[in-house]
Amino acid sequence: MELILANNSSYPRIGDASEHQLLRKTITQWEKGEKADSDLRAAEDRMTELALAEQIEAGLDIVTDGQIRWYDAISHLAGKLSGVRINGLLRFFDTNTYFRQPVVHAKIERTKALLVEDYLFAQAKSPRPVKPVLTGPVTLARLSIEETKGAGGFERMLEGYTQALAPEVAALAAAGATLIQIDEPALLKYPQDIARARPSLAALTAGKGAAQIALALYFGDPAPIYDELQKLPVDVLCLDFTYNPAFVEVVATRGSSKTLALGLVDGRNTKLEDPKTLARDVEKMARRLAGDRAYLTPSCGFEYLPRDRAQLKLRHLSTIKKEFLGSNA
Amino acid sequence: MSREKLRQLGIDLPLFPTTSVGSFPKPDYLMKARADFAKKKITGAELEEKARQATEFWIRKQEELGVDVLVDGEMYRGDMVAYFAEHLRGFEEGGLVRSYGNRYYHKPIITGEVRWENPITVDWWKYAQGLTRKPVKGMLTGPYTVMDWSFNEFYPSRRDTCLALAKEIRREVEALIAAGAKIVQIDEPAASVRSEELPVAIEALDVVTDGLPAYFITHICYGAFEYIYPGMLEMPVDNFDLEMSNSGLDMLELFRKDRFTKDISFGVVDVHSHVVEEESVVEQRLRQALDVLPMENIWVDPDCGLKTRSVDEAIAKMQALVKVARALRN
Repeated sequence: MELILANNSSYPRIGDASEHQLLRKTITQWEKGEKADSDLRAAEDRMTELALAEQIEAGLDIVTDGQIRWYDAISHLAGKLSGVRINGLLRFFDTNTYFRQPVVHAKIERTKALLVEDYLFAQAKSPRPVKPVLTGPVTLARLSIEETKGAGGFERMLEGYTQALAPEVAALAAAGATLIQIDEPALLKYPQDIARARPSLAALTAGKGAAQIALALYFGDPAPIYDELQKLPVDVLCLDFTYNPAFVEVVATRGSSKTLALGLVDGRNTKLEDPKTLARDVEKMARRLAGDRAYLTPSCGFEYLPRDRAQLKLRHLSTIKKEFLGSNA
Repeated sequence: MSREKLRQLGIDLPLFPTTSVGSFPKPDYLMKARADFAKKKITGAELEEKARQATEFWIRKQEELGVDVLVDGEMYRGDMVAYFAEHLRGFEEGGLVRSYGNRYYHKPIITGEVRWENPITVDWWKYAQGLTRKPVKGMLTGPYTVMDWSFNEFYPSRRDTCLALAKEIRREVEALIAAGAKIVQIDEPAASVRSEELPVAIEALDVVTDGLPAYFITHICYGAFEYIYPGMLEMPVDNFDLEMSNSGLDMLELFRKDRFTKDISFGVVDVHSHVVEEESVVEQRLRQALDVLPMENIWVDPDCGLKTRSVDEAIAKMQALVKVARALRN
């Protein structure tokens, strides 16, 4: 089986070395009016280049821009849409990180491209394919509120975000992205939303052209909704294996009709996994996976780890792959 | 019931006792001293002197404002978990990770058996209490939150980690009580995020507090309360200090469905907004609380620690809530 090494999404924007402090310092100075917008953009560019370089150096086949420019996973996209303003801080799922909550006050509309420029920048700097990542409409809608209660509720916000993001997926595909990831961690917390996610994903993927669409779920156990996930209109399922040790057996038993991205490397803890154990896990599942190929990825974005540990874990992906290939040689 | 407990502990509080969640902003001279210390330009003793100066400032300021139950302001702490990790055996300092936006902290890593060896906060509590006749809360971070906000490379499970921490944190609570603390707040902001682990948080807090003679408060914030309420009422504490205003008092709806059975420190000002609430806004929030909660159970405070606000904003927010609480009291 072909095992493709890929990053999940985010990457640390900071590190303990002085060169890794660039963005933090620049933002602080920019907020005080001491730096211009162009300085901020240059700092973001530089940190994006470093994130790409570290992924490539670690041997990844598919990289991301690290979401270095993102304030958080929610407000970065929602805040660029018309009809949405950004409000106070809330905890992001079960992490100790916080996002700014979108308040929907009018029809949600995309009036400009959201991520295309960033994608083109990253791809120009990377010899490996860059996977753009969008937070999906279900998650955006779940974590937003309406300014006027009862103005349409979750359903209307979901529809609004879906309509706004569908052209973005098409634009990313037109810009050359071959694999586009849609993050829907909310589906693990609100499994009842699966039925609503199906038409939303269908709308998002309508303009994908030749690009493949990956759906990423993390911060929870996918086992209870695994069968439902198989029916969603996406090409790849990126799943978090760290919440349920028995999930490997679920996949090994039921197989997968879709290509899987195996989120076996814990993006939330610094401890390095035993590569032999994870290679065995891959092996257990390998025979039942569609297309005789799978991605090996972190369980979630890497920005929850310190940079030095994120680097180690990236390299660990290669070690696990070698173990897997060695045992299958 | 809880007021009786307070009286037995020798504390008599007025209606709508005012307090704060724990942290206050560090004055500029302390921020500079912390930066200088990090660059090894000043000694630990010099930094501690500045922290004492700032602690005294906040004790005096709270007295001046008329706050009823005081805090030391946590001038000696950087982060609420990292501080305890630095003082317990078994932890290493991790690299920087993001909290939100452009804010980062050093997330600790558990690499060995955790062990309490010496009092951590007791000297600071004694110093703060020595400056005032009003009660000063002992302030700790709870085992569930220390577990959840640390990386774990040693214990086999989250529950094992949490219970190991609980046993050690209990020793700090015992030390605070031995020093004279009557009100002890054990912050568990992480308890609201994984509802399936609420029993672990309750079990651990029971290990920390069981049989100890103090009025216990726990602070929980910024989570999915709809998943842990009313189960969280099983936590062995007398008072829940809750972030109410940031979420538009949504929790009152939960309290309508299932009666809130403990005392509550009701957050009436949003700590993440630069805007200082009008007194009329604070009053409206308290009146809404009174629709659902018994008057004698309500304490009044901000949503969360005020450390991210400026000194002036923090004072203004505290002033607004004290004024309103006093007016309603009368």
